Amino acid sequence: MEGVIEIRGLHKAFGSHEVLRGVDFTANEGEATCIIGSSGSGKSTLLRCINLLETPDAGQILYHGEDILSGHVNMAQYHARVGMVFQQFNLFGNMDVLGNCVAGQMKVLHRSREESEENARKYLRKVGMEAYVSAKPRQLSGGQKQRVAIARALAMDPEVILFDEPTSALDPEMVGEVLLVMQDLAREGMTMLVVTHEMGFARAVASKVVFMDQGVICEQGSPAQVLEHPETERLRAFLQSRF
Amino acid sequence: MPTASTSFFGWVAFLLQKYGTLFLRGTGMTLLIALTGTVLGFLIGLLVAIVRTIAMPRSRDPRRQSRAERVSLAVRRTLLRAVQILMNVYIQVFRGTPMIVQAVVIYYGAQYAGIYMDTTFAAIFIISINTGAYMAEIIRGGIVSVDKGQFEAAHAIGMTHWQTMTTVVLPQAIRNILPSVGNEFIVNIKDSSVLNVISVSELFFQAKSAAGAYYRYFEVYFIIACIYLVLTLSVSRILAWVERKMDGPDNYVIHGSQSDSRAEIVVSVENEKEATKSWKA
Repeated sequence: MEGVIEIRGLHKAFGSHEVLRGVDFTANEGEATCIIGSSGSGKSTLLRCINLLETPDAGQILYHGEDILSGHVNMAQYHARVGMVFQQFNLFGNMDVLGNCVAGQMKVLHRSREESEENARKYLRKVGMEAYVSAKPRQLSGGQKQRVAIARALAMDPEVILFDEPTSALDPEMVGEVLLVMQDLAREGMTMLVVTHEMGFARAVASKVVFMDQGVICEQGSPAQVLEHPETERLRAFLQSRF
Repeated sequence: MPTASTSFFGWVAFLLQKYGTLFLRGTGMTLLIALTGTVLGFLIGLLVAIVRTIAMPRSRDPRRQSRAERVSLAVRRTLLRAVQILMNVYIQVFRGTPMIVQAVVIYYGAQYAGIYMDTTFAAIFIISINTGAYMAEIIRGGIVSVDKGQFEAAHAIGMTHWQTMTTVVLPQAIRNILPSVGNEFIVNIKDSSVLNVISVSELFFQAKSAAGAYYRYFEVYFIIACIYLVLTLSVSRILAWVERKMDGPDNYVIHGSQSDSRAEIVVSVENEKEATKSWKA
């Protein structure tokens, strides 16, 4: 198994507040990794650093062994290969559903409109949103928006998708539809990094669970190992607070 | 020829007959400089606002930077800083002085330097840069009002700052600031009247000459007040229509349904929770 994304000694501080204090971690090809931890443990910041929405203060982020902070990697291409799904969906408000899934393909990958639309429809069908191609984001429910956001990420044909708490902003009855789509992706072998509070999802779908606490990775391993047999007191306390 | 006993309406009718074409030409000139000035001012404002919202190039981990990288970064930061300061000065100066003063200073100042501008050109030039200073702030406000998540989603997909701006942020920012842009256009229709100080043949200037001929100030200015009002009211109506157009329809079509793939469902949405569905056959 090859490490697609490898992180070494990642540090990030906001002012004097250290959010990441030396994170080492590898995401292997075809694995769905769930990152769990309480609020403020640095999970989202880690994901945002991987996508360079935040610039790390120190450490390395290797993509297929190449350091993306070195300035030698084409950033647009890297972003196209590493997709992101946000908690707040962040669908482009000025475009309809199809436009959202087409814009990146045309602007960044320079695909033709026909090719982009065909590809976009393929993935919109996959997430069950093909019927809504002409709807504007503001006309959709939260679950529908998030499914479109997943289709938008997929349409770039990425190698890895980062999910930043994809169901945290959803009404409870809409969580299921989004998790089902993500479960399908994991089963098909998409490499995924998922920051989540859905322990059930982590248990059922993840190939690896990572527990973060106070800016470091505290424990990691298979779902059974981490969720059923926690080794540290902190993880035990966290898991107890969840049930 | 009216006499001393001619009524107000008699004078108005007489003046309209005598100076109608003159007023019409003045109206045309007012519209021309207000419209061109607003459009050019908008473009100036757009450029200034985009430059003012470029983030300072950040340094990466300094331990891994080469000397050349450090120098190039310093040069880029200094250049951007200098341009941003210059633009700030431009905004402060043109927002902080009356347009009537700017007109005189620029028009006669240019003559001092040996440049004799055509008055129409001078008028459009002055209105454009004056409007540009206001527009820069209006557009910057519009850009700031767009949710940060929109920038992040565009960057995460691999778009450059320019692509993010032109395809995602500006279309939303411009929609949000359209009422303010319309406001600027209306202000320009009225405020172009101050350009009579440099003898631009706009509506107010024409009125001044017409009023002087028979010493009928009230009647003439009453007529042009009506013309200004008609202009501004029409413009507000047109802008309201453009805004509705830009928002697009409140309805959307669902292509196919689970039970019948040939069906089309039109959904009108006031509120996403209260979506009402009606069959369209």
